[in-house]
Amino acid sequence: MQIERDEVSGQNTTGHEWDGIKELDTPIPKTVILAYILTILYSVGYWILYPAWPYIDDFTRGLTNYSSRETVLVQLAEANSLQTDRNQHLLDRPINELAEDPSIRDQYETSTNVLYADNCAACHGQNLKGQKGFPDLTDASWLWSGTPEEIELTIQFGINSGHDEERFAEMAAFGRDNILDKDQISSVIEYILSLSGQDHDKKNASLGAPLFIENCATCHGEDGKGGPEVGAPDLTDRNWIYGGDSSSLRETIWNGRKGEMPAWDQRLTPTEIRKLALFVYWKSRDQRK
Amino acid sequence: MPTSHQKLESHSLKFVIMILFVASIGGLVEIAPLFTIDNTIERVEGMRPYTPLELAGRDIYVREGCYACHSQMIRTMKSDIDRYGSFSLAAESMYDHPFQWGSKRTGPDLARVGGKYSDSWHLAHLVAPRDVVQGSVMPGYGFLAATPLDVARMPAALKAQTRVGVPYTAEQIEKAELDTIWQADSEAENEDALFARYGEKVNVRDFDGNKELVSEMDALIAYLQMLGTLVDVKALEKEDVVR
Repeated sequence: MQIERDEVSGQNTTGHEWDGIKELDTPIPKTVILAYILTILYSVGYWILYPAWPYIDDFTRGLTNYSSRETVLVQLAEANSLQTDRNQHLLDRPINELAEDPSIRDQYETSTNVLYADNCAACHGQNLKGQKGFPDLTDASWLWSGTPEEIELTIQFGINSGHDEERFAEMAAFGRDNILDKDQISSVIEYILSLSGQDHDKKNASLGAPLFIENCATCHGEDGKGGPEVGAPDLTDRNWIYGGDSSSLRETIWNGRKGEMPAWDQRLTPTEIRKLALFVYWKSRDQRK
Repeated sequence: MPTSHQKLESHSLKFVIMILFVASIGGLVEIAPLFTIDNTIERVEGMRPYTPLELAGRDIYVREGCYACHSQMIRTMKSDIDRYGSFSLAAESMYDHPFQWGSKRTGPDLARVGGKYSDSWHLAHLVAPRDVVQGSVMPGYGFLAATPLDVARMPAALKAQTRVGVPYTAEQIEKAELDTIWQADSEAENEDALFARYGEKVNVRDFDGNKELVSEMDALIAYLQMLGTLVDVKALEKEDVVR
């Protein structure tokens, strides 16, 4: 064991030797050691300025008395009051008037798109076209009416959401609960296919007509057009939430339907809800043109 | 001339003592804050232990590694709060063993996802994420809907929670198996029993759209739908959450 000086690097060896191989003992560069000491000093400064050490029933609060929660609450309160000031006019004017005011649209459409993406797009899609089980907002069929006021109410209280003011609609499970038997359901399906102008079996559809009047017309209307009074879909158009082919209709009639939209009045502010109602109204109107 | 470190290295007893000393600093830093936990957790109303069905859902959440992509911790940052809701409180994970906090979000934070979407959306999304969310990288979990939930293990699962401090009563443990089935009952026939044991904020319904089976999907959706719904954070005053 002998520490020697290495001629090439000018450093000492560790003194160990393995099969003729010796190891250099190069010290850590001074700058690295200095940086290391600085980080330690930095942490000491941090302890003095910021909350750091816990003790029995409290903690050291530091000279700045910083609290992340307090800081963010102040930021939120500031943003909130600014938004309230800026957006108050949205709540002061009737929503129908806002909907037809192009300057409102120019001002809010882009920012509301973000709000829509965060909260609504999961079900109704980024393009508002919906998907199976979740309604298309761009077609002309509205379960609960497509006026800006009614859209706003739907967003506020939801559909079958459990909210006290919810819009409630439930389609019975005609098959599962033995209200109609299999043959009767087949006839009703043929009748619905005929209502919506699809290929159907004429004889069977005529058998389905009285069954439809007896069981379905209370909600969907004798003409099958449904209506926003009860939130029943129009069966005569080509827009289907759960599919309009024979097997989808069988599934729907057999098990019933009770689509749900959450209420947003606890999660979003009145201004946010109003902006979303306007956004949905504008976008859906555009796509129908 | 040997350096001081070389002297230490070559004296085994001194070296062992120094190792113990340095290692104990790490231990102290991790253990000491636990003694102050009582004054770290905010005193807020509404927290209750998970119902058995929710607990089963939570176990599935952990089993499937959901935490690898989803945090349940809304940070004290305005951008976080704008998107996900009020920042998370320590109290809101007081019955979590282990907690599901995190800082890695491949998917969104789930701390307040309860009630944000409908059950049928959760079902459609868990079965085939890309059917409902464009560009999602989440795997599908359709098998959960076909897997019967192991309800028989729930009494033991609750009992295990009591060992780490969750205050389940003897009655809650005894009825755990029934409560699991009752909470997923589409007719909600026994909801009063659940309300009596766990309070009014319990969702009682068929979560996965299959009335014939209490599936793992029922449990997972029941868990997701209660996340962040227990404490009325809007009613809290600044003094309740800022110390």
